[in-house]
Amino acid sequence: MKIPMNAEQTIEKVRGSRIWRSVFRSGTGNSTLHRALAIQQNIFLHLFATKVRKRMVRFSATWYLGTLTLGTFLILVITGILLMLYYHPSVPQAYADMKDLQFVVSSGLFLRNLHRWSAQLMVFLVFAHMFKVFYRGAYRTPREFNWVVGIVLLLITLLLSYTGYLLPWDQLAFWAITVGSNLSSAVPLVGNKIHFLLLGGNQVNANALLRFYVLHCVVLPIMAVLFIAVHFWRIRKDGGLYVQQSEPKAQAPSDSIEPAQEVK
Amino acid sequence: MPDESQAATPKLPTEFDRRAFFTRVGLRSLGIAAAGTIVFTYEFLSPNVLFEPSPIVNLGKPDSFAVNSVTMDVNTAIYLVRAEEGFFALSEVCTHLGCLTAWNQDLGIIVCPCHGSKFTRTGEKIEGPAPKPLPWLKTWVSDDGDLLVDRSANIPPLQYLRI
Amino acid sequence: MSTPKDFAAGIDSDQRRSPTRVVFVTRRTSAQVKVSREDQVQTFPEVLFRAALAIELLAILLVVFSLFFNAPLEGIADPTHTPNPAKAPWYFLGLQELLHYFPPVVAGVLVPTLLIVSLIVIPYFNINIEASGMFLKDRARRKQIFYIATAGMLIFLLLFHVYVAVAPTVIVALGMVVAAHSTPESPSQLRRYLASKPLSYWIMTWFLLELIVLTAVGTFFRGPGWSWVWPWRS
Repeated sequence: MKIPMNAEQTIEKVRGSRIWRSVFRSGTGNSTLHRALAIQQNIFLHLFATKVRKRMVRFSATWYLGTLTLGTFLILVITGILLMLYYHPSVPQAYADMKDLQFVVSSGLFLRNLHRWSAQLMVFLVFAHMFKVFYRGAYRTPREFNWVVGIVLLLITLLLSYTGYLLPWDQLAFWAITVGSNLSSAVPLVGNKIHFLLLGGNQVNANALLRFYVLHCVVLPIMAVLFIAVHFWRIRKDGGLYVQQSEPKAQAPSDSIEPAQEVK
Repeated sequence: MPDESQAATPKLPTEFDRRAFFTRVGLRSLGIAAAGTIVFTYEFLSPNVLFEPSPIVNLGKPDSFAVNSVTMDVNTAIYLVRAEEGFFALSEVCTHLGCLTAWNQDLGIIVCPCHGSKFTRTGEKIEGPAPKPLPWLKTWVSDDGDLLVDRSANIPPLQYLRI
Repeated sequence: MSTPKDFAAGIDSDQRRSPTRVVFVTRRTSAQVKVSREDQVQTFPEVLFRAALAIELLAILLVVFSLFFNAPLEGIADPTHTPNPAKAPWYFLGLQELLHYFPPVVAGVLVPTLLIVSLIVIPYFNINIEASGMFLKDRARRKQIFYIATAGMLIFLLLFHVYVAVAPTVIVALGMVVAAHSTPESPSQLRRYLASKPLSYWIMTWFLLELIVLTAVGTFFRGPGWSWVWPWRS
């Protein structure tokens, strides 16, 4: 067995090894087949189609807003999990932990900043994505339900931002949430009950903080991931991203398999 | 059978098979279980014990308040007012969206910092987006002679406590 | 063509076996799969690498921003002291501005619910699917309805003193007036463009502008007690 002399040969050797092939069953290569298999045989990636229409890949089509929204979400999940390691959702410990993160924890200030700014940007991007999809006309048949899923994701994003807003337990957080949760008691008939359940009490205190923490870190992220998966799946099943033809009048996507017709 | 469909009384089904029967029983017991689950979940989510301060507040002896004074107790969000007609207590919480109002001594009115609602000393709304006047709270004197206020009990306005 | 093999044709719905699919090609036809002859690219590497690049650039931007700007942290939560003004996060400031004019039931519950419901049902209305220019059919009648509706909206806004919402309404109305007097054959490109826009476009644009204006007002033009302030003076 010759020892490979350069990086490329080493990589090729690794990829040809038995261990590698037992994990990545499709093997490696640059052929069309291998590239398709890399998507199709990956449990995470096979949410995507192996091929997409070239028009969809252009930046001007979508400004990549959906992708960027997903990017901010990923940053938020990672920074969020890291921040959770130094945060206790109790009163008044939560505020002390915020000070801790800012002054004592290595990179704590950076992580908190990154989390906060990514969150603001994600809300902005979600709105921008919605408006861009609307103005593209990409909500039309057969993509109506995906639009609805998108609105659900918008609501989840706003709720994630809202529940996260309370967690620093500073004046900004406390009063923004007090006012906001008082809006829920404005709902006729069941308003007060909703208010009581949401806060776990009559006012914003330790129960509210804990409930918002659970919502923010567990319930809403799980819902977000599930709906994102549905959202991506529907894009694929509806025929891929919708991109207008060059004509001014929008047309429904034309790729479909039609049955053979009789030639007379 | 056409003539039965015009009968006034509902007709019992005389013919359905075992499968339909068990389907019905199964679905209905699932329904009962679901309803029960919802009720229990709601009860679980509503805390039975609240670690909040008691709604009844002891404000001390009545004589410690001067006549025509408005005393703000921020910790309990109560205005204790001793007017010429008697004592009364108002809730400090603005009826708009729950911000804490503040007594403005110079203007003689209560102002909310959040959206600018203004109230008179007796809680009536002067201006602003607040939908209701500030509620009057139940006030009485305890056996020890202390002024007690129940923050969770609203009473109709202009019921002064005369001592 | 080779000689056809022996086979038995039929329909098999046996649940226990995977079916073999057969295509029957009858005489004087050809099996044609009609697909659009568009160029395609492979997800890996085209899509995935572009997405990775976009996300990496985003991450760099956010990291640099986070290194220079700190997230705010005020004093510890104090239930006995309401800060003045008490503002919601920026994406809710538009709503909070609305709360200044309308009671909480309307601005806090009704309007958001109606907004969400209207957003959800957009793709289920045929008129939004066809997306033909608003004034291209029935021009006279639609112009009438448009003028009445706009006047009604402006009166409503002025009645409730929602002066800040008047500007976007006027801007969108002006655009619609231009569209009402244009056709796809109009001389300028702008007029042709506006003439082709459907009603949903105008409503959504109005909503977008209102969102921007109300949020901007709530952010910059509201001070203590939610009173009006000019940001360049404070």
